Amino acid sequence: MSLETLEEKVAMVWFLAARAMSVADGNPETARQAAGGLYAQAILGISEEDCLRVKSGDLLDEMTLLDCLAMLRQLPREYGERIMTGVMMIAYANRSMHPLEVRWASTLASSLEFSEDHFQRMCVNARVMSSMLDAQSQDESSDGSTDRDPEVTA
Amino acid sequence: MSDPATNFGFLDRCDPRVSHLARQAEHYVHSDPDSCLFKLRLMIELMAKRLASLAIPGMHDADLSTMLGMLEREGSLPRKQADGMHAIRRDGNAAVHGNATPAPTAMRRLHDAHRLSGWYARNIVRGGRFDIGEFKPPEPKAPPSLEESDLHDQIHALEDRIEERRRKTRDALLLFRENEDSEAVCKRYRIELKALNMVAMAAGEPLIDADFVALVMAMDLEAIYEHPAFGGDSRHARRNAESQLSQVKSEMAEAERVYLQERAELVQAMQLLKRRQLRGEA
Repeated sequence: MSLETLEEKVAMVWFLAARAMSVADGNPETARQAAGGLYAQAILGISEEDCLRVKSGDLLDEMTLLDCLAMLRQLPREYGERIMTGVMMIAYANRSMHPLEVRWASTLASSLEFSEDHFQRMCVNARVMSSMLDAQSQDESSDGSTDRDPEVTA
Repeated sequence: MSDPATNFGFLDRCDPRVSHLARQAEHYVHSDPDSCLFKLRLMIELMAKRLASLAIPGMHDADLSTMLGMLEREGSLPRKQADGMHAIRRDGNAAVHGNATPAPTAMRRLHDAHRLSGWYARNIVRGGRFDIGEFKPPEPKAPPSLEESDLHDQIHALEDRIEERRRKTRDALLLFRENEDSEAVCKRYRIELKALNMVAMAAGEPLIDADFVALVMAMDLEAIYEHPAFGGDSRHARRNAESQLSQVKSEMAEAERVYLQERAELVQAMQLLKRRQLRGEA
């Protein structure tokens, strides 16, 4: 597949960046369960179809993290910031801090040319969002029809 | 020797309470599909509690949805089994809340329960050998009429659509494909991340250096809320995110509501047909 629309480019960068963060701690188990779909759909505005299309194509497997950084720099800034926030949300969700998670966050933030203050604010939002989603998954009522936990835990 | 009249005889020596509920569900599948779902819902709750008591002590008082989520995240519950348990939980909850269950739906969940029970038995009794056998659908007392068969086909078609829709939603929500070799992917990304790390060490830290990132990541959430510079921002971000997430979730809930409505209409058609049959009109 080729990436023609902005939505497809955002989806590709999101999946590359988020997947890298989710496995940076070296636990392949996390990869099996890792979800960020609600964030992608609600905050980044990626449709369910685009999520499925980007994930099912070969391009996602062929692209490197350097490709991801190059594409990230070309996206409109607001998308770059939202992707960075979502990636940090994933980093916070596993409640640990691995050196490679730190490295990926540092690389992404530098690539977006964040100032320290800007990075700190973005992390605050990611942290708050992560705690909110985690609490939401804990509080899910058992009679909901869409209360599928992995949707809300990165 | 297992009882040939049931699909769940193998559970007797593993978990008699679960086995009892499974047999009751089997008994009700045609005569009272709602009760079948109640029993199956209770059955997987007991299964989840036992799994939680082994894997996550202190979780057994949580509600079923939370418990399944925790088991899945902790790695004790594979995705396929989690999907089966959630399907029973959802349909069980719908039945508890007055949504009538058609017999073909109950049969599907009973089949799911059989598959889950085999996995459960092997996990509870480590090294235990269980011959779960092939699932044999319990026979109705009387074979369905042509009209009933037609309605059953419609219900099966609807259930197929529901399952396909749920599977798509689930696949879209996960970062990795179901059949992806997660160890290989993990290895590949980590090699790239290590290379980035080495570049930073050799060429100097980028604009936002790793020490600063580590410091920010270690910040305390309570302190953030109280922080004069970030407190306002963070509350605003939370409100925004909550409203955007609730919009997506309500779209998903709406899709489920439409399915339940369609299912209810088919159940109603089935009930009308039965009444006509009783009156000798069909």
